[in-house]
Amino acid sequence: MFRALAVLRVVVLVNAVALNIYRADEFTRPTAAVACVALMILWTAFAVWAYADKRRRTWPLLVADLGVAMALVLVTPWVKGPDFSTSLPGFWVIGALFAWAIHYRLLGGLVAGLLLAAADLLRQEIDASDYGNIFLLVIGGTIVGFMCDSLQQMATDRDAAERAAAMAAERARLARVVHDGVLQVLALVQRRGRELGGEAAELGRLAGEQEHELRRLIHAQDAVSAVDGDETADLVVELAALELGNITVSTPGTSVELPAATAHELVAVTRACLDNVARHVGEDAPAWVLLQAFPDRVELSVRDDGPGIPAGRLVEAAAQGRLGVSESIRGRITDLGGTAELTTGSFGTEWEFVVPRTPTAH
Amino acid sequence: MSETIRVMVVDDHPMWRDAVERDLEDAGLDIVGVAANGRQALARFPAARPQVVVLDLQIPEPDGVAVTAEMVRQDPSVRVLILSASGEQADVLAAVTAGATGYLVKSASREELLTAVRRVAAGDPVFTPGLAGLVLGEFQRRSDEPTRPDDSGLTERETEVLKMVAKGMSYRQIADRLVLSHRTVQNHVQNTLRKLQMHNRVELTRYAIERGLDAE
Repeated sequence: MFRALAVLRVVVLVNAVALNIYRADEFTRPTAAVACVALMILWTAFAVWAYADKRRRTWPLLVADLGVAMALVLVTPWVKGPDFSTSLPGFWVIGALFAWAIHYRLLGGLVAGLLLAAADLLRQEIDASDYGNIFLLVIGGTIVGFMCDSLQQMATDRDAAERAAAMAAERARLARVVHDGVLQVLALVQRRGRELGGEAAELGRLAGEQEHELRRLIHAQDAVSAVDGDETADLVVELAALELGNITVSTPGTSVELPAATAHELVAVTRACLDNVARHVGEDAPAWVLLQAFPDRVELSVRDDGPGIPAGRLVEAAAQGRLGVSESIRGRITDLGGTAELTTGSFGTEWEFVVPRTPTAH
Repeated sequence: MSETIRVMVVDDHPMWRDAVERDLEDAGLDIVGVAANGRQALARFPAARPQVVVLDLQIPEPDGVAVTAEMVRQDPSVRVLILSASGEQADVLAAVTAGATGYLVKSASREELLTAVRRVAAGDPVFTPGLAGLVLGEFQRRSDEPTRPDDSGLTERETEVLKMVAKGMSYRQIADRLVLSHRTVQNHVQNTLRKLQMHNRVELTRYAIERGLDAE
């Protein structure tokens, strides 16, 4: 900012010197006028040097800067006599004005503007154009001060945001390394524990559970950035939460966004199917969940390797007026506008759900 | 099949490297090289000439995907078995697309690992249900893109088989269910993998060049 101001100072100095030479006939005291112009040149050179270093931008410098500008305005009637068209320094005073505005911001700009205006008013009768100039002086100082404030604020905010982003990226990188290390150890404990048997096997099982849990968390976290404000949920992430040692969840590699209610209902239905597997096939019976996403629909299947549902049991249940779990599962899928199909036999039991997708999802 | 399988183990965690190495050696396999990072792996690969590379995906630069791509480029007959702890889905899919023949989670048992290495050595892809799900998703994604020429999509039968793999069915179960021979099911899975990898060969070359692997 002060570098730009240095350039401005030189420009307004050239302008002021040129104007004073052009209006040299107005001077009643030419010697004093030459001295004043020389002072302006010297002071400009000094100010450009002085403001260049941040350590020198202290209040004595700013007060002196403004003092010189005001003094030059005040001596104008004495140097030029009562009849003059422009003040001696002219626009040169904005150097000091903007220095105040930049350094002391809005208040500095206002104070410097008012002081220069007061000095201007003291030395002459005012007409409309003078009033305009004075008004510009005050307003200009204030606005530049205000803008400096905003710019500074923006720069601070931007720096903070950049720092936060860099920190988040670094944290994510570190987390990845740490997570990978932890997963490695958990997997190793799980593997060796199983081989050693006994109590170690229990440790291995616990490690396995934690491994799944951590993997699910990482997966969920990776998906966080992709979530938007709409009421949608990523079915891939939701289903991954169901994964356990004996439950395998297979999904596409990309997220499958569905209305949150639909996604949650599908997860609930899947869970009901898995509960059924645990009850009828065995607590640790393996089960597989497969999700496939198409532009117009999702297909979800839950399969187990059990002995299958004995023929007639479902019919029998219905005949007895019991809706049973399978009917409730079917009902919930129908409510979503989809279809549910149950295949069962010696090869196991498989539920297949097809639920339409609203085309807006793609 | 009777000759010993030459294996290279790449993993940056010493405890894992040792565990895998020991398990494979105990089973009578020939460990011809180990490496702790991508650079070492690629430097030792030409001299070690392994049939199978057991590769961790999360290794120091270049990562497992880039290493897979480069190894397969140098020796198209090499089989890469990905062993991953975190199972980052995108990475697994990228590695398989880059030419890996199989994928196993690290928590798999010693027997599962041995079986996987032997099968991969025989050129038989090792698909976990999770990987099959990813591959299904990838083919679906490709067919959803209207700009892509649909020259290497899956046949209906291949999709059916892959879907069953993703549902956790063994090749034997699939063969029974579809009234096919075990070999035919294997062929379908192999074709699936081949199509996945072929389709991406151009993108893969670009990937390798971007990572500066073409200079070596």
